Amino acid sequence: MDKNIARRKIVGATFFMFLGIALFIASNIVDELRVYQGATVAVYVVAISSIILLTGYSGQISLGHGALMAVGAYAAVLSRNYWNFPIPLTFAVAVLAAALFGALLGMAAGRLSGPYLAGTTLALAVGLPSLANQFKILGGEEGLTYDVGFPPLSLGQDFTQYKWFFWIAALAALAITWVIFNILGSRYGRQWRALRSNPTAAALLGVHVARSKVLAFTISSGIAGLAGALMSMTISLVTPSAFPLSLSFAIVTGAVLAGVTLLTGSIVGAVVLVAIPEVTAALATHLGGSEKVTSNLPGLMMSTLLILSVLFFPNGPQLHRRKTRKS
Amino acid sequence: MFALRRTKRGVLASATLAVSALALSAIPAQAFSVHAETGVTATQIKLGITIPLTGSAAPGYSKIPSAMQAYFNYVNDNGGVYGRKISLVVKDDAYLPTLAVAKTNELILKDKVFAVVGALGTANNKAVAKSVNLGRRGIPDLFLNTGYSGFADAKKYPTTFSLFPSYIMEAKIMGQYIKENFAGKKLGLIYQDDDFGTDALVGFKQAGVKFDVSVPYASGSQSAQSAQGWIGKLKAAGAEVVVMFGVTTASGAALATAAAMAYKAQWILGSVGGDATTLKAVGVPAYVLTGAMGASFLPAPTDTTDEYVKFFQGINTKYNGDAVFDNNVLVAMNTAMMTVQALRAGGKNLTHASVMSALENSGSSFASASLSPINYASGVHVGYSGYWFGTYNSAGELKPNGGAYSVYTTDSGAGAIVKSTFKRPALPANGLPTN
Repeated sequence: MDKNIARRKIVGATFFMFLGIALFIASNIVDELRVYQGATVAVYVVAISSIILLTGYSGQISLGHGALMAVGAYAAVLSRNYWNFPIPLTFAVAVLAAALFGALLGMAAGRLSGPYLAGTTLALAVGLPSLANQFKILGGEEGLTYDVGFPPLSLGQDFTQYKWFFWIAALAALAITWVIFNILGSRYGRQWRALRSNPTAAALLGVHVARSKVLAFTISSGIAGLAGALMSMTISLVTPSAFPLSLSFAIVTGAVLAGVTLLTGSIVGAVVLVAIPEVTAALATHLGGSEKVTSNLPGLMMSTLLILSVLFFPNGPQLHRRKTRKS
Repeated sequence: MFALRRTKRGVLASATLAVSALALSAIPAQAFSVHAETGVTATQIKLGITIPLTGSAAPGYSKIPSAMQAYFNYVNDNGGVYGRKISLVVKDDAYLPTLAVAKTNELILKDKVFAVVGALGTANNKAVAKSVNLGRRGIPDLFLNTGYSGFADAKKYPTTFSLFPSYIMEAKIMGQYIKENFAGKKLGLIYQDDDFGTDALVGFKQAGVKFDVSVPYASGSQSAQSAQGWIGKLKAAGAEVVVMFGVTTASGAALATAAAMAYKAQWILGSVGGDATTLKAVGVPAYVLTGAMGASFLPAPTDTTDEYVKFFQGINTKYNGDAVFDNNVLVAMNTAMMTVQALRAGGKNLTHASVMSALENSGSSFASASLSPINYASGVHVGYSGYWFGTYNSAGELKPNGGAYSVYTTDSGAGAIVKSTFKRPALPANGLPTN
């Protein structure tokens, strides 16, 4: 048993290291647009992996993770603007604030499941971001500036701001995915999987259902908070309009599309989410559509993909035919 | 055995991913040509604009891009700028700062425009300046469609050239007008609760105007419902003169609701939300607008005795599908004419630097429809600096008070408000600049 776990850890670590090196090399060769998109992909990877942990592993639905991202983002910005925290510390603040919020939410929604939990989180997604308009300190619709500063001069004059964002986001994404990978492989991950397939059986096995669910919500929210802070970094801004309802839907779609139980699915889902506007923009220009068409086509495509994937591939593209093994 | 298979699979997966990442990264970065500036080829100059085509602030402003392109097409049909045709890439940002940032990124990273022209919105432009940082990239950010005074700071925004008079200037001039003509009356103010509106507050304070009731509104929250709250507050305070410093959909909501609630006051509309045609289109009854006052730095769009207005109306008919000619179209075409002159002044060897130094050196003598002088100079990126006041008649035409355009100019600081003696340059022959 121990040998397998150790091997899993070594393989995982090697994988992440290889990926890190590959991304580092890529960022130095690709042009700025791809680097910027890469930063966005990294943000989505973090956000989607929070959904995978929550929905894929502990079986709880959240349609409001955009609001949790907002909590993390605002916490990061406020800690930076008012207490002058260094950037890594603002990320930690984001995680803690969102996790705390998620813990409260998890406890409040503890008795809810399925569509009722989805509805509660949906209400949160709609209502929470607009709180910024109520309190002056949150900057209203114009928002607050989140300034991570220019890349250090030691990296050279040609080191663009977006490359700097990509390095920070990619590093954060790699680190957090490594952490999640380990959590999922621990007894908590096993508890969540037991919880997901049959809560009653899990309870009979000694799993404290409520505590486990709240833990999943807490950790998932903390990760979403980090994603929110990273996203705000890439646009140097935190405003309610950066966390619309469509964001919550988008990350759920990304998670479902790529297999909601597979952590590596977060990369595929993230790439798809960033690729869709590109593809639809090219499509719209081909079809000779106006700018209004181009603005709305990605949303339409996203929704269609979500519906199709839930109908035909509810467990993701069945690449690893583990589930359909004949008994 | 099972574990071994998983290890092999794991290593294989990571190796594949690394290789594909490297393969993907082999896509070469855009070749950087030392001979031509980005967005400029031998036959084309590509410009970009972010503007609300959809969303709560779109009515009125969505007409701007096609009006600009109409003038550009006219110039293109007549030789372009030293043989180069101007094309305008239009991006919809729905008046949301986050979208403005995303779309501007597309403009400079994907479309690779030469310059951004006429980008609309105070909060939007601030977000773009912070995030995309056109200044740091050296990309000209010309003739922003906003009057926020901060953008004229050439040190903070080195590649940004303001065009419209600042909101501080507008508020100062408006404040003086109020003090001279409405002394002793109860004053009310509705303003957008972001830097656009607070800029105006600074100007009113400079002018020494105190409002008995101030009603801020959050950008995007304007609607018939929220306007009921605004009018309720104004009514309760008994405001007799109300200044409306918001976007057109907000002033539209305010006026329409005032009519519905039978609230009568002397309305003074800020230039941003004062276009009569758009106001009527969003449901303001004509009788409410009649007698309201407005400010502008351009001649009234209905003033066909003005040579610039007459010329632009002609372009509108021929090149803009004969759209309704209102203040938005006039503003757009005026900005387009300024743009063409800026590009011409940048010379045949057009670069970012050449355009910006040309604007500083000769921008103040450009031909434009504005009745206010242009203030560009070395290190000075302030465009227009003056306003005239008028009253809307029953046909929705803004007629200058006193019969003739009397423009007052000032600055965004503590400078005095002065009656302007500026004579604007005549319209170039056929409306084609030859600078």
